[in-house]
Amino acid sequence: MNLLVLLTIAAVLVVIQVGVTRWVNLNRLAWMAIWWAALWAAFSYGITPPLPQSIVVLFMAIITIALLAYLSADSEELAQARQTLVSFMVEKRYQVALIVVILTLPLLVALSVFSSLNQAPQPPASGRTIHPVPPASISFEGNTINLSTANNPYRELEHSDPEAFAAHVDNGRRVYFENCFYCHGDNMEGAGQFAHGYDPLPANFNDATTIAMLQESYLFWRIAKGAPGLPPESTPWSSAMPAWENFLTEEEIWDVILFLYEFTGFEPRAQGMPH
Amino acid sequence: MIRFITLCTVLIWAAEASAQQANDLGTDEQREAGKVLYDIKCAHCHGYSGDAISVATPFVRPTPRDFTSGNYKSRSTASGELPTTEDIRRSIRLGMPYTSMPAWEGILSEAEITNLAYYLKSFDAAFAGPYGNPTVVEVPPAPGYSDDPDHLARGRAVFEANQCADCHGDNGRGNGLSAPDLEDEWGFHIRPADMTKRWTYRASSTREDIYRTFMTGLNGTPMPSYQQSIEEADRWALVDYVWSLSRSTPDYGTVATAIGQSQALDLGDPLLFADAPEAYFPIVGQVIEPGREFNPGVNGIAVRAVFDTTHIALQLRWHDMTAETASHNHPSLPAPLFNPAQADTSAGDWSDAVALLWPAATPVGLERPYFMFGDTKNPMSIWFADLATDSAAALLGQGTGLITESDWPIESTAGYEDGMWTIVMKGPRRMGEMTFEERAFVPVSFSVWDGFNRERGNKRGLSAWYHIYMEPIEQESVLLPMAKWALIVLLVELALVGLVRWRAGRRDEY
Ligand code: HEC
Ligand code: HEC
Ligand code: HEC
Repeated sequence: MNLLVLLTIAAVLVVIQVGVTRWVNLNRLAWMAIWWAALWAAFSYGITPPLPQSIVVLFMAIITIALLAYLSADSEELAQARQTLVSFMVEKRYQVALIVVILTLPLLVALSVFSSLNQAPQPPASGRTIHPVPPASISFEGNTINLSTANNPYRELEHSDPEAFAAHVDNGRRVYFENCFYCHGDNMEGAGQFAHGYDPLPANFNDATTIAMLQESYLFWRIAKGAPGLPPESTPWSSAMPAWENFLTEEEIWDVILFLYEFTGFEPRAQGMPH
Repeated sequence: MIRFITLCTVLIWAAEASAQQANDLGTDEQREAGKVLYDIKCAHCHGYSGDAISVATPFVRPTPRDFTSGNYKSRSTASGELPTTEDIRRSIRLGMPYTSMPAWEGILSEAEITNLAYYLKSFDAAFAGPYGNPTVVEVPPAPGYSDDPDHLARGRAVFEANQCADCHGDNGRGNGLSAPDLEDEWGFHIRPADMTKRWTYRASSTREDIYRTFMTGLNGTPMPSYQQSIEEADRWALVDYVWSLSRSTPDYGTVATAIGQSQALDLGDPLLFADAPEAYFPIVGQVIEPGREFNPGVNGIAVRAVFDTTHIALQLRWHDMTAETASHNHPSLPAPLFNPAQADTSAGDWSDAVALLWPAATPVGLERPYFMFGDTKNPMSIWFADLATDSAAALLGQGTGLITESDWPIESTAGYEDGMWTIVMKGPRRMGEMTFEERAFVPVSFSVWDGFNRERGNKRGLSAWYHIYMEPIEQESVLLPMAKWALIVLLVELALVGLVRWRAGRRDEY
């Protein structure tokens, strides 16, 4: 919603509406044109993210019909509108204006055809599911890990043995700054040194829609299996996320997960809650 | 005599004390707050004691700054001197582009950045001593940029007279004769800046920044200071000459448009790509699979493409400090699993090489091969040119370590001139299940191997998937549809006006 634009448009409409009823006798057609333009501006510029052009066209078609229906509901207004149009086309004093209108319209149409044909063709858009449903279990170095029950084995140390916990977090820090910051960035905002060269972009862990809403076992899956472990709807062929089972031990992965939460200040989603 | 010595001692002590007072070291609270932040945000690169002994240091080049050394690249102060607090704050704020030093602007507050700067200063006692108050080199306000040929020729003359080309190359592409042998303060090889890419400058890249850079030099690197040797009247001419060689943004693309032509492609034609628009794609380190490359020698590749009825040809160009054309290279060469950055980048073991990677079968929907080297389900066609040889070959990639020969004929030419490789590869538009149809967006990715960096096999620079758009040979004219629609509208208008006038006329008659 772009409030500034919407309020401006509303203000203009109110002024005109009040002005019309009080002082000026605005032609019905002009009144319609103003409403039409105002609504078009509201749909095109007043809404963020912007509506697709095709939706705007659809809305405007509906509005055109509505305005015409409104006009034709009152036979006096209809007659007034018709009279304006007829006199514009017939009367001598409008001749020059009429010729100008007759010539500009085709030009405008030609121009819009030109711009629609000259648009650079767009490559196929690739939508992808960012958080697909994880598999029930994965195998890691020969062991099977059940993702719906697995917990970070070092999480409980946070209360039972803070010193040991700190050592695990610190090991996670080491893992992160040996392996991850090239992509996820040293502040975990997904803007590492190489991020600009990968598509999709590396995940931003400071964002509330990544690790903040995931379980630690989900992260374990994503980190261990990387892009190649993703289902097709998540375009495994284009993600740069490495499969860390090639490089890291199970303990190192749990440790780096501890570090991700420690550094960003988020809490993992508890086990048992749906994704 | 004793009195004199005492006097001297007192004087020196007084001078030191007053210098100390003037040194901008911040308060204890500021430094303490800086330390807390530093240990969380900076220590894993710069080391807990500021000495750059850290977990990241073995991997990244240039290495994180060793703050105990007092060597700062980006300064407003004379060569060899310490930076001002503001210099350090600026480096923290803006980071050092295209190194692992990030920009902290927007992440840390100005107060936090100031606290950090004071804490960094505490790693080197010199900041508290008489040198802690360095002389600032004034940068006068920049006159407007001028591309007047005489002015630029003067800049060029200064560039030559001061041997900038020795390190930076004749056209500033970072390929000077001494470039392969330069070392920084810590004994690691350092590449002279590729001047043509302003977005990679470490110490910022406005015209004032360039002026400051060659006036102050970059401490800890071979980049000297020219404060004494370049006259004031020549300085802006040199800045503008450097400016004229360079671009401010990489303007990375996602699609390269291939231009169709009806006459057959002739690789000998110097104007073959004259009409094809250039797209520039980022190349980054392969840090995904074993054989990781943390410091790729190449950071971007310029691509142009043309095709005829049977073949497609692509021109690939990139800046490279040196051409390695001895020995050999191949995507299937083994590269070490765990591979910290080497100090001993050495020419001679591996040659430069480049590859174009396509799906081996025209993709259905969005699905395509894994962008590394393909996979068994979706293989990749790899057009590979080892620049030690003058031929290219097509390979079939089914994953890393699963790369085999294939026999699609690929023609190629290669040339290295003044720090830039120009490679052309030409292959058939139909390779089994893979076709390059007109109007199609064909997925493509690029890999570049820099032999100087000992890149081979999976240790390489690579790109994500991008597209080649096959612009049709027979371009339909837009004039016809334009004229058609204009005419239709005109006729409708005339008919309407005619009708209205006719009826109005009839009404008048009665
Ligand atoms: C080569 C670049 C790269 C490196 C190195 C890398 N990642 Fe990733 N990572 C990505 C990309 C790209 C994505 C987003 C696409 C995807 O989900 O696969 C991602 C996604 C993730 C996700 C999923 C986030 C979510 O919201 O689903 C996690 C968790 C993750 N990375 C952790 C790590 C860890 C831990 C490391 C280091 C051990 C690491 N990554 C190293 C590129 C990288
Ligand atoms: C991911 C690793 C990394 C992190 C994290 C990092 N730096 Fe750096 N920093 C570097 C590297 C690498 C360089 C050297 C760049 C060069 O020489 O071109 C550097 C250079 C610097 C410089 C020197 C600028 C100069 O003019 O020479 C300063 C100051 C600095 N860093 C401050 C910080 C501060 C403060 C933090 C924490 C808020 C920080 N850095 C975090 C890697 C890092
Ligand atoms: C002895 C070799 C050498 C000479 C001679 C030399 N430079 Fe440099 N220059 C370097 C190196 C090395 C770097 C890269 C430093 C780095 O990356 O930290 C550099 C960097 C630069 C940069 C980029 C600065 C930045 O912020 O990254 C500019 C601009 C530059 N030099 C200009 C010049 C000009 C102009 C001259 C001649 C008057 C010159 N250099 C002469 C070695 C040299």
